[in-house]
Amino acid sequence: MAIEHSRLGRAILRSAKKPDISVRYDSPVTCFVQSVGVAAGRWRLPTSDVNQAWGRGGGRGQSAVCGPDEDSLTLAWQAADRALDAAGLSPESVEAMWWGTARPPFAEGPSWTQLAAVLRLAPTTNGFVVSGSSHSGIDAFIAALDALESGRLDNALVIASDAVSPAVGGAFEAIAGAGAVALVLSRTGGAAHVTGAGSTWAPVLDRYRGDSEDETRESYDGRLFREQIFLPMMAEAAAGSDATRWSIPDPDGRLAAIVIKQLSPAGATAALISGAARTELGDTGAAAPWLGAAATLGEPGSLAVMAYGAGRATRFDIEVTSPVPGADRVAADLAISNTATYVQVLRARKRLTTTGESVEMAVPPGSAMFVRGNRETLGLLGARCVDCATINIPPSIHPACVSCGGTKFDEVQLARTGSVQTFVINHTMPQPFEAPLPLIVVDLDDGSRIQLQGATDGSDIAIDARVELILRRYTVERGVPIYGWKVQPISTAQPIEGVSS
Amino acid sequence: MSWNRVAVIGAGLIKMGELFDQSYEQMAKGAFDAAVDAVDLGFDPSLIDAAFVATQRGTLWGQEGIGGNTVPSALGLAGIACTRIENACPTGSDAFRVGCMAVASGVHDVVLVIGVEKMRDKSAEEGLLARAAAGHPIYTRGESAPVLFAPFATRHMHEFGTTREMLASVAVKNHHNGVLDPYAHFQSEVTIEQVLNAPPVCHPLHLLDCCPQTDGAAAILITSAARAAEFTSAPVFVAGFGVATDHPYLHEKSTFVGLPATVLAAERAYAMAGVGPTDIDMAEVHDCFTITEILDIEDLGFVEKGKGGIASLEGDTAIDGRIPTNTSGGLLAKGHPIGATGIAQLTECWWQLREDAGERQVKLNSGFALQHNVGGRGSGVSVVNILTRNP
Repeated sequence: MAIEHSRLGRAILRSAKKPDISVRYDSPVTCFVQSVGVAAGRWRLPTSDVNQAWGRGGGRGQSAVCGPDEDSLTLAWQAADRALDAAGLSPESVEAMWWGTARPPFAEGPSWTQLAAVLRLAPTTNGFVVSGSSHSGIDAFIAALDALESGRLDNALVIASDAVSPAVGGAFEAIAGAGAVALVLSRTGGAAHVTGAGSTWAPVLDRYRGDSEDETRESYDGRLFREQIFLPMMAEAAAGSDATRWSIPDPDGRLAAIVIKQLSPAGATAALISGAARTELGDTGAAAPWLGAAATLGEPGSLAVMAYGAGRATRFDIEVTSPVPGADRVAADLAISNTATYVQVLRARKRLTTTGESVEMAVPPGSAMFVRGNRETLGLLGARCVDCATINIPPSIHPACVSCGGTKFDEVQLARTGSVQTFVINHTMPQPFEAPLPLIVVDLDDGSRIQLQGATDGSDIAIDARVELILRRYTVERGVPIYGWKVQPISTAQPIEGVSS
Repeated sequence: MSWNRVAVIGAGLIKMGELFDQSYEQMAKGAFDAAVDAVDLGFDPSLIDAAFVATQRGTLWGQEGIGGNTVPSALGLAGIACTRIENACPTGSDAFRVGCMAVASGVHDVVLVIGVEKMRDKSAEEGLLARAAAGHPIYTRGESAPVLFAPFATRHMHEFGTTREMLASVAVKNHHNGVLDPYAHFQSEVTIEQVLNAPPVCHPLHLLDCCPQTDGAAAILITSAARAAEFTSAPVFVAGFGVATDHPYLHEKSTFVGLPATVLAAERAYAMAGVGPTDIDMAEVHDCFTITEILDIEDLGFVEKGKGGIASLEGDTAIDGRIPTNTSGGLLAKGHPIGATGIAQLTECWWQLREDAGERQVKLNSGFALQHNVGGRGSGVSVVNILTRNP
């Protein structure tokens, strides 16, 4: 690398002899952004609460953290569901999905396929999970970009999500955020498109989680990282862009501002747009680059999205020609004010656990029952009786219709909205269940009836309440995450298409 | 015209409770001895040529499953024909029904039906609450036993204006009856306020809306109606019975204000006995939760659908009420050792029809008593047995 090292990062930025690493993607344009969707962990943890617990003073801002039934997969589903909805693209039409995350739910296992199943993608859809660092979200984007440029695909779904488990007691714990962003990309057209890129790398150790380790920790000297790694590499990757708006990941809450200052010494041309997401959500890792830019995809103009992770720095230039569908709801989807205590967060991350034994699920996750049932349970499938139209749920346990005894069925995808028929709130269960746990019988809008857990404490559930189904992690059984759908109220009265009132 | 082909010649049970000092086998022996001792003209156990054992879950005392041989061995009857029957909460009442059919068929002559359940060798959490982790990994996850009935309370309250006070009146009445029953697990009165203020178990049910987890055993001796006079001058006859099923998942229910399996089982039992709800002098019904008794008295036809709550609050189901229900204290006060429950209920009916129920004795008019259980996955299995003192 042609970088002159000095003690101060800003001096490097001024004096570095920058190699030409920029790439142009605009003749012809082959990567358009059709839509965007975002999600964040449902809790907000004040940074000062964590600091206080460890005898440290102060700490501004907050981070988005997962509740006990959320993780990088549920966040990925939520963002992708919103992006597909905004694009008006049916899941079966998605040609490929790339998912970048530093923390796939299965370190080795069916992360991609379970996400594909809950999104109801077609069996022909391809793609993969990209992992390894907070650069993974951009890596997923690069995979899609290359496939679109090759002409092999006409569309792709790119998801960046993260929900790391930060080392308890370290500084990173107080700022680690959980979030996700999804983009529907197209080769043929869209409201925004990629115009250029730049990247560089160096074999350095920074944020780290070793094999067999469960916690992500920062294994560097902060000053060394800032001055010798982050600032010079970001400067190098940024070189050559004429973007006026910049999304820059911010590992400690102050570095993005320094980078932006060096980009525009006069303070006139480059504006930092990722500050709001950083303040609201913390450091969302692999999701940070696009989360930082998501809201401003609604405003025409040129912007640069930067990523950093594990010694790699990358920039993409985006030209927004008209508001990107989905950008208008980004702010609302991230504006959750559900403050959690540090103890709640430690419990959700399984860092604080009760003594005693937990009741095991009656069948282990490796059972044939899951082989038979995962597709229909994750994909939320039913069997509609050809004779009487009753929808039997789930299909595999209903060789005969519960209403008429008929034996011919059509497989159907169940509606994701409905009304509460009846419910209970269970307060008394052994470990690993946590009370209060609502169990809700819902009359779905397709005429079927289903029983699922509630995603809230149940205080907002009533008979006839309008509800929607959302993906959640039901439990971690014998080390294996088990996903399923839960019920939550539809917060605002929304007209349901195709259902007469 | 009632069926009346089989007669009950003896019945008995042990004091219900947390019987930490008794094994499964010892409880069985205690109930068996009580039934033998209750035979008016004396009884030689060697006359028994078959037994039906009602035990719902062996896992609570360390048995994956038990067959028909454990109980005969404990009773000194090793060698006899014996079959274990399991059919959810109606396990005991269904074993009785099967025993009656065995006698009526002529295959067996004198039959022992015995229910034994060890619930408390494990903690209460490992019992019916641990059910939360069984079944479908998603669609029933979290479904501990109260979840099988609480959704009906939510809906019944919504549709009919049933109140928690009405639910509580069931617990108050059954605890009162329990004080009068020396075999009851609980021997204390409770007030409406205590029921309302008890900790929540499964909204809208609170602690005193729920039956306890109880160890217990009960036994009944039956033979053909023709042979009954050899053993007693006051036989009680089996007038009729019915069993019915409904779908095993709650989301498959056609209604949440009643239990169709109970309605069907009752229809069949009434038809076989040639009687109707108004002919029943007293009933022992399945009150695992307060709401269950309210559903039962509606589904069995004692009160109009939707009126079960107000009928309970107004005393219709008290010992001196229009339709005395759960005079033994019911599952709420006497306890619910699952396999033994139905047989203990039948024992109470037997006592009542023979006017042996002491302070709990109801006034007999038509001479019929009804026993009922409902439960299992989706509350989808129900059994109704009707006894009569009329020959």
